[in-house]
Amino acid sequence: MTDTAADLPQHARERLQGLRDTSRRGGIFTSDFSVNEFLMVSEAGFEPLGLVVGSCIYHTGIQYAGWAKNQEMAVLSQAMYEARELAMTRMEQEAQSLSADGVVGVRLEVKRMEWDRDILEFLAIGTAIAHSKGHPGFKGPEGKPFTSDLSGQDLWMLLQSGYRPLALVMGSCVYHVAHQGMFQSLGNVGRNVEMPLFTQAMYDARELAMERMQKEAQEAGAEGVVAVQLHEGSHNWQPHVIEFFAIGTAVKPIEDAAVIPERLIPQIVIPVND
Amino acid sequence: MSLFGPPGGRPQDDAASAARQAAWDEALTRGTVPAFVKQRLAETMSGKRPWVTTASPAGLLAQRSHGIRPLGLVSGNCWFQFGYSWTRGHYEGWHTALDRLRLEAGLMGANAVVDVTLSVRRMPGTENEGHMDYGVVGTAVRLDGLPESTNPAIATVSALEFARLLESGIVPVGLAIGAHYDWFVATGYQAANAASFWNQEIAPLSSFLTRVRRQALQELRDDGVRLGSGVLAHTQHTELYRVEPDENNPYVRFLARYIALGTAVLHDSRSLRPFGVRPVMNVRDSRLLAATDTTKEVL
Repeated sequence: MTDTAADLPQHARERLQGLRDTSRRGGIFTSDFSVNEFLMVSEAGFEPLGLVVGSCIYHTGIQYAGWAKNQEMAVLSQAMYEARELAMTRMEQEAQSLSADGVVGVRLEVKRMEWDRDILEFLAIGTAIAHSKGHPGFKGPEGKPFTSDLSGQDLWMLLQSGYRPLALVMGSCVYHVAHQGMFQSLGNVGRNVEMPLFTQAMYDARELAMERMQKEAQEAGAEGVVAVQLHEGSHNWQPHVIEFFAIGTAVKPIEDAAVIPERLIPQIVIPVND
Repeated sequence: MSLFGPPGGRPQDDAASAARQAAWDEALTRGTVPAFVKQRLAETMSGKRPWVTTASPAGLLAQRSHGIRPLGLVSGNCWFQFGYSWTRGHYEGWHTALDRLRLEAGLMGANAVVDVTLSVRRMPGTENEGHMDYGVVGTAVRLDGLPESTNPAIATVSALEFARLLESGIVPVGLAIGAHYDWFVATGYQAANAASFWNQEIAPLSSFLTRVRRQALQELRDDGVRLGSGVLAHTQHTELYRVEPDENNPYVRFLARYIALGTAVLHDSRSLRPFGVRPVMNVRDSRLLAATDTTKEVL
């Protein structure tokens, strides 16, 4: 696969070219914005360039865990992380070749393949946007486009609160939960008791996923992480193997006084129709 | 990177893994968390690591307007076997998990934990073994002007709704839980109700289900009384099953369970502040939802 924007195939470049140049005949933007989202992205001072996408089909390695042991499945953790990272990087390449400032509304999906339980597809898709007046202060780390799973409305809101998005940050931990021994299970029959091995496994896996996400944000130079979601799932693995996945948008205060929005005092409203 | 073998960047060291397990074991037994968790919480609190929040960017506005500052994600869980009592199991499981969440929040000096979500988890393949995990996750926050707290308030509402309650003079203080589970043995049920051709109430079942609901709501109330002066219950769920006779049970049996969860609040109805109503357009596509809207996640 390609490593830089310049290495993108001809057809991808043509598609992206057509998107960027709206003055040209046939030059349009594409996006999966809703009407509200489109309006709010414009209100925030940005314009959509085009849908950008990256995918990665990944064969996960093999790892065995001790039957009665709580432990991280490091091979699987790494696989889940690396494959997502690859899909994201490919999406970023497309955004870069559009000279985008960022990508919003990023969805990161994992799908399993019917024919092989070790093969997973990772998909990253979002809408590349650019500042309408070409303001340079919105790029992400290392001058690359920022990435975020926030919607257009949330982007506007984030800028209003004095922060700008840097990068979609994530942490993954695939964990094997110990099986309870026969004697331990029999000893507890009919009792109301905590099962500490299981409790600890959940705690540890969650802690590792959160810690990794936080570390990634730290490395991106973020002050904080918003809209964090904690997912857990088993991607067709053996029983007792689960993934904890933390994902959120790393943010940083806006430095440039020229683009700091006017202080917005939120007014608390109560929808009366729900 | 090698696919088959310990990955380079993060060696899977058996000794380190065992040490981690021992640390969890020791800490949870003593009712605390391991040193590496304490360190992460302390560094997050002091700004050495980025703060973390489950709130959408709108929640960050509350930081400016209401001085609600996010600290970090805090969590707790308890995998509980309810050998003799589902009711007690639900009560103890949730409360242990909440105590652990409160502990983490206390270590960060948080004044409150908002946006707390609850979920249960069963191990695939052991769904009928009578044990499950009770898990809670939320965002620890500091309120400007208040000193650090060791006993933070827990609320299922978001930071924005927390602010809305505070503005109206209502203080969210905790989470109230009412859960009840019971069996009903239908002796004589068949004869009385099964073969009729006319409309009639199945009175024994009505009264059974009503009793289960009332007891759960009584528990919700009792829990609420311990915490505050009211409960905003937003998650309620009932299940009723029919179980056919078997060799140990000659009669048809019915199993009912009911759970109600809500945010306990402190308020004085005489001092509620009125507010004007003004029509607005919502620019969000989705409604602002309560933390636990899908009831299947908490049973």
